Amino acid sequence: MRLDNITLEGMLPRVFVSESIPDSEIWRSTATFRRGESYLVEATSGGGKSSMCAYIYGARTDFEGKLLFNGVSSTNFDMARWQKLRRGNIAYLPQDLMLFPELTALENIRLKNGLTGYASDSKIEGWLERLGIASRKDYPAGRMSVGQQQRVALIRSLCQPFDFILLDEPVSHLDEQNNRIAAEIIAEEAKTLGAGIISTSVGNHLLLHYDKTTHL
Amino acid sequence: MKRKPTDNDPKGCVRLLTRLLRKNTSPARVAGFLVSNFLGLAIVLGALQFYSDANSIWSADDSFVKSDWLVINKKVTSANTFGESSDFTPEEIADIERQPWVRSVGRFTTADFRIYARMAAGNDASRSMSTSLFFESIPDEYVDVDKSLWRWEKGSKEIPVIISKDYLTLYNFGFASSAGLPQMSEGLMSGIPLELTLTSEDGTRTERLTGHVAGYSNRLNTILVPDEFMRMENAELGSGATRNPSRLVVDVNSPGDVAISEYLDAHDLEVAGDKSGASASFLLKVVTGVIVAIGAVITLLSFFILLLSLSLIMEKNAPTLHRLLMLGYDAGSVARPYTRLAVCAPTGALLLAVGCVALLRGSYLPALRGLGAASGGFIAAPCAGALITLLVIFFNVVSVRRKVRDSWRR
Repeated sequence: MRLDNITLEGMLPRVFVSESIPDSEIWRSTATFRRGESYLVEATSGGGKSSMCAYIYGARTDFEGKLLFNGVSSTNFDMARWQKLRRGNIAYLPQDLMLFPELTALENIRLKNGLTGYASDSKIEGWLERLGIASRKDYPAGRMSVGQQQRVALIRSLCQPFDFILLDEPVSHLDEQNNRIAAEIIAEEAKTLGAGIISTSVGNHLLLHYDKTTHL
Repeated sequence: MKRKPTDNDPKGCVRLLTRLLRKNTSPARVAGFLVSNFLGLAIVLGALQFYSDANSIWSADDSFVKSDWLVINKKVTSANTFGESSDFTPEEIADIERQPWVRSVGRFTTADFRIYARMAAGNDASRSMSTSLFFESIPDEYVDVDKSLWRWEKGSKEIPVIISKDYLTLYNFGFASSAGLPQMSEGLMSGIPLELTLTSEDGTRTERLTGHVAGYSNRLNTILVPDEFMRMENAELGSGATRNPSRLVVDVNSPGDVAISEYLDAHDLEVAGDKSGASASFLLKVVTGVIVAIGAVITLLSFFILLLSLSLIMEKNAPTLHRLLMLGYDAGSVARPYTRLAVCAPTGALLLAVGCVALLRGSYLPALRGLGAASGGFIAAPCAGALITLLVIFFNVVSVRRKVRDSWRR
């Protein structure tokens, strides 16, 4: 199944229910993300951008309103349905990275790629080279700097076919050069797959050409 | 060219997965489970197997009377000597038949004529033995003997007879040694024909027949002839008076039933033959019950050890479980290392326990056979063990699944 659009209909994190949220283009309104387009979701800290990503990825359900995939509500999705989406439709780079600190960088990447069988060894090597962490690939992820970990997690998120890629502050710990390289790689992959990009930022955003910038 | 296997292959991936999920597995706890589960199972299964093997000593069928057939009679008191009948009236029999533990009641028929038997070893009169005898019969369905041996056809002058084993003992160790007669084995005795003379009470009619011993019984203190023969001879030689039976054979549901002994005591009745079997069988049941209960408690505790160990490991690994699920791994693959442990550990303990019981059985079986146990199969322990283990596995697997679901959304 191809995922063509994701719609957030009247969505609101439950913790925000009693608060007034002025000028949000997502909370309490209707927002649709389309496959093939790139979106920048800008927010202040605590604005709920990580919550939005977690909702779309099915990691959390503490929201009011509706989340629609191709117009179908996700309310009744079971575990198997979500896992299928996570393996084949939605790639996700969470803000807290969720790496396994005891595994090496390469093992972390292969743990995902072994599941999908998507990227070739040479492709992974190429990404590692370009992002400047090839020499660190056999280091345990837990002993790497946050910036290096961020790049490992980015490569891992690309090791699957996807219709959308959710990037939660993907370059918060990267310098401008690495930011640019990361943006290139993501844009290449998204173009190849015809996928949509949803990137969040509190200021330092992924250096990409965005079709739309949305304020949360 | 064949590609070198790497972690990129699903196999390598599974290896990584297992490495992550095995984290925090405590070999000591698993060993603790194995030992306690093995111990508990070995005790439960050993006791059950011993019970199933030993029970046949007491519940084994007498060659002629099944164990759940009781031969009962009234207790003889001095009142009986002075005229009071020890016969069962039809009302008394009807009352016994009404008891819930009774399946059916058979009546003993006594001979209404005189019997004189002579056992001759050759023609030498000095080496022969003669005596007055009595005959009884019970319906054929209560005589559990090969029908080909227990056959009498109308007009035949050959009659099969079952005698009490006690009579042979009495002859061999009491009579034969004091009278200077040769001792006889069961086989030899069966080979010697009995010259029987049947005479009516008034002495007017006489019949000569040959009897042969068809078998010996531990439980019937009587001399048994086929029922049909008895009825015919009673009609021919008897006085024609109907007599109430003084003994009954009762087919009961369970010989160890307390209700039976209570009823018998209340009505001054007693069971003929060997009664120790019932109490020994009861004792065996009680002892087995106690041992099984102890083993069951240990097994139950070991079950909780496994359940708690698995819960603890999964609790500690919950962040790992959550992250794997976030990556898109399905619940089954994430649960697999734990499910495997939940299946393999109890199965291992079961195999050890069954092996141990098999060894134990090998050591006690010859002794039991010596006591007359029938050689039953090695079935009770493996079956009970498999059932217990399946239950343990089932509950642990369910618990593992629940834990994985709990890790799904944290």
